[in-house]
Amino acid sequence: MYEINREEPQIIFCDLNSAFAMAEQQARPSLRGRPIGITNRLSRHCCVIAASYEAKSLGIKVGTRLDEALALCPDFVMLESDPPKYHHMYKQLARIMKSYSPNIKMKSIDEGIIDFHGTTEIVNQRPLEEIGFEIKQRMKQEVGGWMKVNIGIAPNRFLAKQAASWHKPDGLDRIDHRNLIEYYRGIELTDLTGIASHYEARLNAAGIFTPIDFLEASSDTLRRIVFRSVVGDDWYQRLRGYEVDDVKTRLGNVGRQWVLKKPSADDNFILPCFQYLCETTGKKLRYQGVDARGILVWAHFRTGESWYVRRMFKTTFFTDTDIYARALYLFNKRPKHMVIQSMGITCYQLTPSARNQISLLDDVNKEEWLTTAIDEINEQYGAFKIFSANALLGTQIVRQKIPFGGTKYFELLLKQA
Amino acid sequence: MDPIVPINQRVDVVAVYRKRGDIASLCMPYKMRFRGQEVEFTELGLRHPTVAGKRMIHVFDMSDGVNDYRLEFDAEALTWTLVAMIEGDYVRD
Repeated sequence: MYEINREEPQIIFCDLNSAFAMAEQQARPSLRGRPIGITNRLSRHCCVIAASYEAKSLGIKVGTRLDEALALCPDFVMLESDPPKYHHMYKQLARIMKSYSPNIKMKSIDEGIIDFHGTTEIVNQRPLEEIGFEIKQRMKQEVGGWMKVNIGIAPNRFLAKQAASWHKPDGLDRIDHRNLIEYYRGIELTDLTGIASHYEARLNAAGIFTPIDFLEASSDTLRRIVFRSVVGDDWYQRLRGYEVDDVKTRLGNVGRQWVLKKPSADDNFILPCFQYLCETTGKKLRYQGVDARGILVWAHFRTGESWYVRRMFKTTFFTDTDIYARALYLFNKRPKHMVIQSMGITCYQLTPSARNQISLLDDVNKEEWLTTAIDEINEQYGAFKIFSANALLGTQIVRQKIPFGGTKYFELLLKQA
Repeated sequence: MDPIVPINQRVDVVAVYRKRGDIASLCMPYKMRFRGQEVEFTELGLRHPTVAGKRMIHVFDMSDGVNDYRLEFDAEALTWTLVAMIEGDYVRD
Protein backbone atom coordinates (compact mmCIF):
# COMPACT_ATOMS: atom_id res chain seq x y z
CA MET A 1 0.00 0.00 0.00
CA TYR A 2 2.73 2.47 0.94
CA GLU A 3 5.31 1.15 -1.57
CA ILE A 4 7.86 0.68 1.21
CA ASN A 5 11.36 -0.43 0.26
CA ARG A 6 11.53 -4.16 1.02
CA GLU A 7 15.29 -4.43 0.66
CA GLU A 8 17.16 -5.99 3.58
CA PRO A 9 18.91 -3.23 5.57
CA GLN A 10 22.48 -2.49 4.46
CA ILE A 11 23.15 0.71 6.41
CA ILE A 12 24.42 1.04 9.97
CA PHE A 13 24.34 4.44 11.64
CA CYS A 14 26.67 4.88 14.64
CA ASP A 15 26.05 7.76 17.01
CA LEU A 16 28.09 8.62 20.11
CA ASN A 17 25.45 10.44 22.09
CA SER A 18 26.56 13.18 24.45
CA ALA A 19 29.95 12.46 22.94
CA PHE A 20 31.98 15.24 24.57
CA ALA A 21 30.51 14.65 28.02
CA MET A 22 30.92 10.89 27.64
CA ALA A 23 34.58 11.36 26.64
CA GLU A 24 35.20 13.43 29.78
CA GLN A 25 33.47 10.85 31.96
CA GLN A 26 35.51 8.11 30.34
CA ALA A 27 38.73 10.01 31.05
CA ARG A 28 37.79 11.00 34.60
CA PRO A 29 36.15 8.22 36.57
CA SER A 30 35.18 10.58 39.43
CA LEU A 31 32.75 12.33 37.06
CA ARG A 32 30.94 9.18 35.94
CA GLY A 33 27.28 9.06 36.80
CA ARG A 34 27.28 12.78 37.59
CA PRO A 35 25.62 15.70 35.82
CA ILE A 36 28.35 17.40 33.82
CA GLY A 37 28.44 19.81 30.92
CA ILE A 38 31.05 20.96 28.45
CA THR A 39 31.58 24.54 27.36
CA ASN A 40 34.07 26.17 25.05
CA ARG A 41 35.37 28.82 27.43
CA LEU A 42 34.49 28.69 31.08
CA SER A 43 32.99 31.95 32.32
CA ARG A 44 30.06 33.10 34.41
CA HIS A 45 27.84 33.43 31.35
CA CYS A 46 29.03 30.42 29.38
CA CYS A 47 26.54 27.85 28.15
CA VAL A 48 26.50 24.09 27.76
CA ILE A 49 27.54 22.77 24.35
CA ALA A 50 27.24 19.12 25.43
CA ALA A 51 25.53 17.68 28.50
CA SER A 52 25.89 14.24 30.04
CA TYR A 53 22.84 11.97 30.21
CA GLU A 54 22.66 12.61 33.95
CA ALA A 55 22.49 16.36 33.31
CA LYS A 56 19.92 15.91 30.54
CA SER A 57 17.67 14.01 32.89
CA LEU A 58 17.68 17.08 35.18
CA GLY A 59 16.63 19.36 32.34
CA ILE A 60 20.09 20.69 31.51
CA LYS A 61 20.58 20.65 27.76
CA VAL A 62 22.62 22.27 25.01
CA GLY A 63 22.34 26.04 25.36
CA THR A 64 21.60 26.05 29.10
CA ARG A 65 23.65 28.75 30.80
CA LEU A 66 25.91 27.89 33.69
CA ASP A 67 23.90 29.86 36.26
CA GLU A 68 20.67 28.21 35.09
CA ALA A 69 22.32 24.77 35.27
CA LEU A 70 23.56 25.43 38.81
CA ALA A 71 20.07 26.54 39.81
CA LEU A 72 18.68 23.25 38.49
CA CYS A 73 21.45 21.19 40.03
CA PRO A 74 23.94 22.65 42.54
CA ASP A 75 26.25 19.64 41.96
CA PHE A 76 26.51 20.39 38.26
CA VAL A 77 30.10 20.31 36.99
CA MET A 78 31.11 22.38 33.96
CA LEU A 79 34.33 21.58 32.11
CA GLU A 80 36.13 23.31 29.27
CA SER A 81 36.22 21.42 25.99
CA ASP A 82 39.32 19.38 25.16
CA PRO A 83 39.37 19.05 21.34
CA PRO A 84 42.27 16.54 21.06
CA LYS A 85 40.31 14.16 23.29
CA TYR A 86 37.21 14.36 21.10
CA HIS A 87 39.35 14.03 17.99
CA HIS A 88 40.76 10.81 19.44
CA MET A 89 37.22 9.48 20.00
CA TYR A 90 36.29 10.44 16.47
CA LYS A 91 39.30 8.64 15.03
CA GLN A 92 38.66 5.53 17.09
CA LEU A 93 35.03 5.38 15.98
CA ALA A 94 36.05 5.89 12.34
CA ARG A 95 38.75 3.20 12.61
CA ILE A 96 36.32 0.65 14.01
CA MET A 97 33.67 1.51 11.42
CA LYS A 98 36.19 1.27 8.58
CA SER A 99 37.09 -2.27 9.58
CA TYR A 100 33.66 -3.42 8.37
CA SER A 101 33.31 -1.65 5.03
CA PRO A 102 35.39 0.64 2.86
CA ASN A 103 32.31 2.75 2.34
CA ILE A 104 31.96 4.80 5.50
CA LYS A 105 31.03 8.43 5.86
CA MET A 106 31.53 10.44 9.03
CA LYS A 107 28.58 12.81 9.20
CA SER A 108 29.99 14.84 12.06
CA ILE A 109 32.38 14.60 14.97
CA ASP A 110 30.26 12.01 16.77
CA GLU A 111 28.33 10.09 14.15
CA GLY A 112 28.91 8.17 10.97
CA ILE A 113 27.42 5.74 8.48
CA ILE A 114 28.63 2.33 7.34
CA ASP A 115 27.28 1.29 3.97
CA PHE A 116 27.42 -2.50 3.58
CA HIS A 117 26.25 -2.61 -0.04
CA GLY A 118 28.53 -4.96 -1.94
CA THR A 119 30.25 -6.32 1.15
CA THR A 120 27.72 -8.64 2.72
CA GLU A 121 28.26 -11.56 0.38
CA ILE A 122 32.03 -11.71 0.70
CA VAL A 123 33.19 -9.92 3.83
CA ASN A 124 30.34 -9.56 6.26
CA GLN A 125 28.11 -12.59 6.15
CA ARG A 126 26.77 -11.98 9.63
CA PRO A 127 23.51 -10.22 10.46
CA LEU A 128 23.98 -6.47 10.88
CA GLU A 129 22.61 -6.68 14.44
CA GLU A 130 25.57 -8.90 15.35
CA ILE A 131 27.98 -6.40 13.79
CA GLY A 132 26.20 -3.59 15.65
CA PHE A 133 26.68 -5.31 19.00
CA GLU A 134 30.31 -5.98 18.10
CA ILE A 135 30.89 -2.25 17.38
CA LYS A 136 29.48 -1.40 20.81
CA GLN A 137 31.69 -4.01 22.42
CA ARG A 138 34.79 -2.85 20.56
CA MET A 139 34.24 0.78 21.60
CA LYS A 140 34.17 -0.38 25.21
CA GLN A 141 37.25 -2.59 24.85
CA GLU A 142 39.37 -0.41 22.60
CA VAL A 143 38.45 3.05 23.89
CA GLY A 144 36.93 2.66 27.33
CA GLY A 145 34.25 0.89 29.33
CA TRP A 146 32.10 4.03 29.70
CA MET A 147 31.66 4.47 25.95
CA LYS A 148 28.14 4.03 24.64
CA VAL A 149 27.19 3.95 20.99
CA ASN A 150 23.71 4.09 19.56
CA ILE A 151 23.34 1.89 16.54
CA GLY A 152 20.64 2.18 13.91
CA ILE A 153 20.11 -0.34 11.11
CA ALA A 154 17.89 0.40 8.11
CA PRO A 155 17.70 0.30 4.31
CA ASN A 156 18.57 3.99 3.93
CA ARG A 157 20.56 6.65 5.77
CA PHE A 158 17.55 8.57 7.00
CA LEU A 159 15.85 5.59 8.64
CA ALA A 160 19.18 4.37 10.05
CA LYS A 161 19.60 7.70 11.83
CA GLN A 162 16.03 7.48 13.08
CA ALA A 163 16.73 3.97 14.38
CA ALA A 164 19.87 5.18 16.16
CA SER A 165 17.82 7.78 18.06
CA TRP A 166 14.98 5.40 18.90
CA HIS A 167 16.25 4.12 22.25
CA LYS A 168 18.92 6.34 23.76
CA PRO A 169 21.43 5.82 25.26
CA ASP A 170 23.19 2.66 24.15
CA GLY A 171 20.36 1.46 21.91
CA LEU A 172 20.44 -0.85 18.93
CA ASP A 173 17.39 -0.78 16.67
CA ARG A 174 16.43 -1.86 13.24
CA ILE A 175 13.80 -0.22 11.07
CA ASP A 176 12.71 -1.95 7.89
CA HIS A 177 9.51 -2.72 5.99
CA ARG A 178 8.38 -5.01 8.82
CA ASN A 179 8.17 -2.35 11.53
CA LEU A 180 8.25 0.98 9.71
CA ILE A 181 4.53 1.75 10.11
CA GLU A 182 4.61 0.79 13.78
CA TYR A 183 7.63 3.04 14.27
CA TYR A 184 5.94 6.02 12.59
CA ARG A 185 2.86 5.52 14.78
CA GLY A 186 4.93 6.06 17.91
CA ILE A 187 6.62 9.36 17.01
CA GLU A 188 5.81 13.00 16.24
CA LEU A 189 6.55 14.88 13.04
CA THR A 190 9.39 16.80 14.66
CA ASP A 191 11.02 13.52 15.72
CA LEU A 192 11.89 13.05 12.06
CA THR A 193 15.42 14.25 11.28
CA GLY A 194 15.11 17.34 9.10
CA ILE A 195 11.61 18.31 10.22
CA ALA A 196 11.72 21.24 12.61
CA SER A 197 9.04 23.80 13.45
CA HIS A 198 9.19 25.57 10.07
CA TYR A 199 8.63 22.43 7.99
CA GLU A 200 6.12 21.19 10.56
CA ALA A 201 4.03 24.33 9.99
CA ARG A 202 4.11 23.74 6.23
CA LEU A 203 3.06 20.13 6.68
CA ASN A 204 0.28 21.12 9.09
CA ALA A 205 -0.99 23.67 6.58
CA ALA A 206 -1.38 20.81 4.09
CA GLY A 207 -3.33 18.72 6.61
CA ILE A 208 -0.37 16.55 7.61
CA PHE A 209 -0.12 16.23 11.39
CA THR A 210 1.57 12.87 12.00
CA PRO A 211 4.32 10.81 10.36
CA ILE A 212 1.60 8.45 9.12
CA ASP A 213 -0.17 11.38 7.42
CA PHE A 214 3.21 12.31 5.97
CA LEU A 215 3.67 8.78 4.65
CA GLU A 216 0.19 8.74 3.16
CA ALA A 217 0.67 12.05 1.33
CA SER A 218 1.24 11.65 -2.38
CA SER A 219 4.49 12.60 -4.03
CA ASP A 220 2.57 15.27 -5.95
CA THR A 221 1.20 16.83 -2.76
CA LEU A 222 4.62 16.95 -1.16
CA ARG A 223 6.28 18.41 -4.24
CA ARG A 224 3.61 20.93 -5.28
CA ILE A 225 1.92 21.94 -2.05
CA VAL A 226 4.19 21.27 0.93
CA PHE A 227 7.79 21.75 -0.17
CA ARG A 228 7.15 23.36 -3.57
CA SER A 229 10.27 21.74 -5.02
CA VAL A 230 11.89 18.37 -5.67
CA VAL A 231 12.56 18.23 -1.94
CA GLY A 232 9.01 16.86 -1.73
CA ASP A 233 9.94 13.93 -3.99
CA ASP A 234 12.99 13.25 -1.84
CA TRP A 235 10.86 13.11 1.30
CA TYR A 236 8.43 10.76 -0.42
CA GLN A 237 11.29 8.34 -1.17
CA ARG A 238 13.13 8.89 2.11
CA LEU A 239 10.15 8.06 4.30
CA ARG A 240 9.72 4.73 2.48
CA GLY A 241 13.31 3.64 2.98
CA TYR A 242 14.69 4.49 -0.45
CA GLU A 243 18.12 6.13 -0.55
CA VAL A 244 18.19 9.77 -1.59
CA ASP A 245 20.85 11.09 0.76
CA ASP A 246 23.92 9.35 -0.64
CA VAL A 247 25.12 12.44 -2.46
CA LYS A 248 28.57 13.98 -2.62
CA THR A 249 28.48 17.66 -1.80
CA ARG A 250 30.75 20.17 -3.51
CA LEU A 251 32.65 22.70 -1.48
CA GLY A 252 30.75 25.92 -2.19
CA ASN A 253 32.26 28.44 0.16
CA VAL A 254 34.79 28.85 2.94
CA GLY A 255 34.53 31.37 5.73
CA ARG A 256 34.65 32.31 9.34
CA GLN A 257 32.35 34.21 11.63
CA TRP A 258 32.62 35.54 15.15
CA VAL A 259 30.22 36.72 17.83
CA LEU A 260 31.69 39.54 19.87
CA LYS A 261 31.56 39.06 23.61
CA LYS A 262 31.29 42.84 24.02
CA PRO A 263 29.62 44.49 21.00
CA SER A 264 31.77 47.30 19.66
CA ALA A 265 32.07 49.94 16.92
CA ASP A 266 35.71 50.72 17.67
CA ASP A 267 37.98 50.09 14.66
CA ASN A 268 40.98 49.56 16.94
CA PHE A 269 39.20 46.53 18.34
CA ILE A 270 37.18 45.37 15.33
CA LEU A 271 39.85 45.45 12.62
CA PRO A 272 42.48 43.22 14.27
CA CYS A 273 39.76 40.65 14.91
CA PHE A 274 38.51 41.01 11.34
CA GLN A 275 42.04 40.45 10.04
CA TYR A 276 42.33 37.35 12.19
CA LEU A 277 39.07 36.04 10.67
CA CYS A 278 40.53 36.69 7.20
CA GLU A 279 43.71 34.80 8.07
CA THR A 280 41.83 31.77 9.39
CA THR A 281 39.70 31.83 6.24
CA GLY A 282 42.91 31.87 4.16
CA LYS A 283 44.21 28.85 6.05
CA LYS A 284 40.97 26.99 5.36
CA LEU A 285 41.17 27.85 1.65
CA ARG A 286 44.72 26.57 1.36
CA TYR A 287 43.90 23.49 3.44
CA GLN A 288 41.15 22.65 0.95
CA GLY A 289 43.49 23.33 -1.98
CA VAL A 290 41.20 25.90 -3.57
CA ASP A 291 41.38 29.53 -4.70
CA ALA A 292 38.46 31.94 -4.45
CA ARG A 293 37.15 34.72 -6.66
CA GLY A 294 34.32 36.13 -4.58
CA ILE A 295 34.14 37.61 -1.09
CA LEU A 296 31.14 38.36 1.08
CA VAL A 297 31.51 40.24 4.34
CA TRP A 298 28.68 40.81 6.75
CA ALA A 299 27.86 42.17 10.17
CA HIS A 300 24.93 41.99 12.54
CA PHE A 301 24.48 45.06 14.71
CA ARG A 302 23.34 45.43 18.27
CA THR A 303 20.19 47.11 17.02
CA GLY A 304 19.16 43.86 15.35
CA GLU A 305 19.88 45.18 11.85
CA SER A 306 22.15 43.38 9.39
CA TRP A 307 24.50 44.50 6.66
CA TYR A 308 26.43 42.67 3.98
CA VAL A 309 28.26 43.33 0.76
CA ARG A 310 29.64 40.88 -1.76
CA ARG A 311 31.86 41.19 -4.79
CA MET A 312 33.42 39.03 -7.48
CA PHE A 313 36.99 39.85 -8.48
CA LYS A 314 38.68 39.36 -11.83
CA THR A 315 41.45 37.14 -10.50
CA THR A 316 41.53 34.33 -7.99
CA PHE A 317 43.23 34.74 -4.62
CA PHE A 318 44.31 32.58 -1.68
CA THR A 319 46.96 34.46 0.34
CA ASP A 320 46.08 36.07 3.66
CA THR A 321 47.15 39.51 2.46
CA ASP A 322 45.02 39.26 -0.70
CA ILE A 323 41.98 38.13 1.25
CA TYR A 324 42.39 40.84 3.87
CA ALA A 325 42.96 43.61 1.32
CA ARG A 326 39.82 42.67 -0.62
CA ALA A 327 37.71 42.01 2.46
CA LEU A 328 38.79 45.23 4.17
CA TYR A 329 37.85 47.23 1.08
CA LEU A 330 34.33 45.80 1.37
CA PHE A 331 34.18 45.92 5.17
CA ASN A 332 34.98 49.65 5.19
CA LYS A 333 31.69 50.27 3.40
CA ARG A 334 29.72 49.28 6.49
CA PRO A 335 27.85 51.92 8.50
CA LYS A 336 30.68 52.70 10.90
CA HIS A 337 28.61 54.25 13.63
CA MET A 338 26.74 50.97 14.20
CA VAL A 339 27.82 48.72 17.08
CA ILE A 340 28.75 45.27 15.77
CA GLN A 341 27.38 42.17 17.52
CA SER A 342 28.74 39.57 15.11
CA MET A 343 30.62 39.60 11.83
CA GLY A 344 32.00 37.26 9.26
CA ILE A 345 33.67 36.70 5.94
CA THR A 346 32.89 34.12 3.28
CA CYS A 347 34.94 33.32 0.18
CA TYR A 348 33.00 31.79 -2.71
CA GLN A 349 33.32 30.86 -6.38
CA LEU A 350 36.00 28.35 -5.47
CA THR A 351 38.22 26.68 -8.03
CA PRO A 352 40.95 24.06 -7.63
CA SER A 353 44.20 25.79 -6.83
CA ALA A 354 46.55 26.72 -9.67
CA ARG A 355 49.41 27.30 -7.29
CA ASN A 356 51.75 24.82 -8.94
CA GLN A 357 51.88 27.07 -11.96
CA ILE A 358 54.78 29.52 -11.67
CA SER A 359 53.67 33.01 -12.60
CA LEU A 360 55.43 35.24 -15.10
CA LEU A 361 55.15 38.00 -12.51
CA ASP A 362 57.86 37.72 -9.90
CA ASP A 363 55.85 39.56 -7.24
CA VAL A 364 53.07 37.00 -7.49
CA ASN A 365 55.56 34.16 -7.05
CA LYS A 366 57.19 35.83 -4.07
CA GLU A 367 53.88 36.30 -2.32
CA GLU A 368 52.93 32.69 -2.93
CA TRP A 369 56.27 31.40 -1.65
CA LEU A 370 56.03 33.61 1.41
CA THR A 371 52.56 32.24 2.19
CA THR A 372 53.78 28.67 1.74
CA ALA A 373 56.79 29.31 3.99
CA ILE A 374 54.61 30.81 6.73
CA ASP A 375 52.19 27.89 6.52
CA GLU A 376 55.07 25.43 6.83
CA ILE A 377 56.52 27.21 9.87
CA ASN A 378 53.10 27.28 11.52
CA GLU A 379 52.66 23.62 10.69
CA GLN A 380 55.98 22.83 12.33
CA TYR A 381 55.67 24.94 15.46
CA GLY A 382 51.92 25.27 15.96
CA ALA A 383 49.18 27.43 14.49
CA PHE A 384 49.59 31.21 14.54
CA LYS A 385 53.25 31.28 15.48
CA ILE A 386 53.71 33.69 12.56
CA PHE A 387 50.90 36.03 11.59
CA SER A 388 50.28 39.64 10.65
CA ALA A 389 51.17 42.05 13.44
CA ASN A 390 47.82 43.76 12.94
CA ALA A 391 46.02 40.53 13.81
CA LEU A 392 47.76 40.21 17.20
CA LEU A 393 44.76 41.35 19.20
CA GLY A 394 42.51 39.06 17.17
CA THR A 395 44.61 35.99 17.96
CA GLN A 396 44.23 36.76 21.65
CA ILE A 397 40.50 37.44 21.60
CA VAL A 398 38.91 35.27 18.93
CA ARG A 399 39.05 31.64 19.99
CA GLN A 400 38.71 28.62 17.76
CA LYS A 401 35.80 26.40 18.62
CA ILE A 402 35.25 22.82 17.65
CA PRO A 403 32.20 22.44 15.46
CA PHE A 404 29.62 19.71 15.81
CA GLY A 405 28.84 19.75 12.12
CA GLY A 406 31.06 18.76 9.21
CA THR A 407 34.49 17.32 9.81
CA LYS A 408 36.21 18.65 6.72
CA TYR A 409 38.37 21.10 8.72
CA PHE A 410 38.77 19.00 11.80
CA GLU A 411 42.53 18.44 11.57
CA LEU A 412 43.13 22.09 10.78
CA LEU A 413 40.86 23.45 13.51
CA LEU A 414 42.42 21.15 16.04
CA LYS A 415 45.77 22.85 15.54
CA GLN A 416 44.20 26.25 16.07
CA ALA A 417 42.06 25.31 19.06
CA MET B 1 31.69 24.48 39.27
CA ASP B 2 35.03 23.60 37.67
CA PRO B 3 36.70 20.88 39.74
CA ILE B 4 39.98 20.85 37.80
CA VAL B 5 43.02 21.89 39.84
CA PRO B 6 45.91 22.95 37.59
CA ILE B 7 49.27 21.53 38.72
CA ASN B 8 51.76 21.64 35.79
CA GLN B 9 54.65 19.98 37.60
CA ARG B 10 57.21 17.46 36.41
CA VAL B 11 56.77 14.16 38.26
CA ASP B 12 58.55 10.81 38.58
CA VAL B 13 56.52 8.06 36.94
CA VAL B 14 56.83 4.28 36.73
CA ALA B 15 55.15 3.06 33.56
CA VAL B 16 54.24 -0.43 32.35
CA TYR B 17 54.74 -1.48 28.73
CA ARG B 18 52.87 -4.64 27.78
CA LYS B 19 53.94 -7.07 25.11
CA ARG B 20 50.44 -7.49 23.78
CA GLY B 21 47.00 -6.15 24.36
CA ASP B 22 44.73 -3.55 22.90
CA ILE B 23 46.08 -0.13 22.00
CA ALA B 24 44.38 1.48 24.99
CA SER B 25 46.43 -0.47 27.53
CA LEU B 26 49.74 -1.29 25.80
CA CYS B 27 51.45 1.44 27.78
CA MET B 28 50.23 2.99 30.99
CA PRO B 29 51.62 4.73 34.05
CA TYR B 30 51.70 2.44 37.06
CA LYS B 31 52.54 4.92 39.81
CA MET B 32 54.01 8.38 40.34
CA ARG B 33 55.68 10.40 43.05
CA PHE B 34 53.92 13.68 43.69
CA ARG B 35 54.66 16.08 46.55
CA GLY B 36 56.66 13.40 48.31
CA GLN B 37 53.92 10.79 48.16
CA GLU B 38 53.54 7.75 45.98
CA VAL B 39 50.29 7.58 44.06
CA GLU B 40 49.40 4.17 42.66
CA PHE B 41 47.02 4.19 39.74
CA THR B 42 44.09 1.80 39.64
CA GLU B 43 42.48 2.79 36.34
CA LEU B 44 43.43 4.20 33.00
CA GLY B 45 40.54 6.46 32.01
CA LEU B 46 41.74 7.37 28.55
CA ARG B 47 44.93 7.75 26.61
CA HIS B 48 45.01 10.04 23.64
CA PRO B 49 47.69 11.72 21.59
CA THR B 50 48.00 15.43 20.96
CA VAL B 51 50.68 17.70 19.57
CA ALA B 52 52.55 20.81 20.60
CA GLY B 53 53.81 22.03 17.24
CA LYS B 54 55.39 18.87 15.84
CA ARG B 55 56.10 17.37 19.27
CA MET B 56 54.01 14.33 20.11
CA ILE B 57 52.43 14.41 23.54
CA HIS B 58 50.65 11.38 24.99
CA VAL B 59 47.94 12.32 27.46
CA PHE B 60 47.05 9.78 30.12
CA ASP B 61 43.96 10.38 32.23
CA MET B 62 44.51 8.22 35.29
CA SER B 63 42.67 7.51 38.51
CA ASP B 64 43.87 6.20 41.87
CA GLY B 65 40.35 5.23 42.83
CA VAL B 66 39.62 8.60 44.45
CA ASN B 67 41.29 11.39 42.49
CA ASP B 68 41.70 11.79 38.74
CA TYR B 69 45.03 12.88 37.28
CA ARG B 70 45.96 14.20 33.85
CA LEU B 71 49.51 13.14 33.02
CA GLU B 72 51.31 14.15 29.85
CA PHE B 73 54.29 12.35 28.38
CA ASP B 74 56.38 14.45 26.00
CA ALA B 75 57.70 11.93 23.49
CA GLU B 76 60.52 14.27 22.41
CA ALA B 77 61.75 15.57 25.74
CA LEU B 78 60.89 12.24 27.49
CA THR B 79 59.31 14.04 30.42
CA TRP B 80 56.21 13.33 32.48
CA THR B 81 54.13 16.28 33.64
CA LEU B 82 51.20 16.20 36.00
CA VAL B 83 49.06 18.80 34.30
CA ALA B 84 45.95 18.79 36.48
CA MET B 85 43.90 16.76 38.87
CA ILE B 86 40.35 16.43 40.11
CA GLU B 87 40.04 15.72 43.78
CA GLY B 88 37.42 13.02 44.23
CA ASP B 89 36.10 14.68 47.38
CA TYR B 90 35.20 17.81 45.44
CA VAL B 91 32.86 15.86 43.26
CA ARG B 92 31.45 13.80 46.09
CA ASP B 93 30.55 16.72 48.40
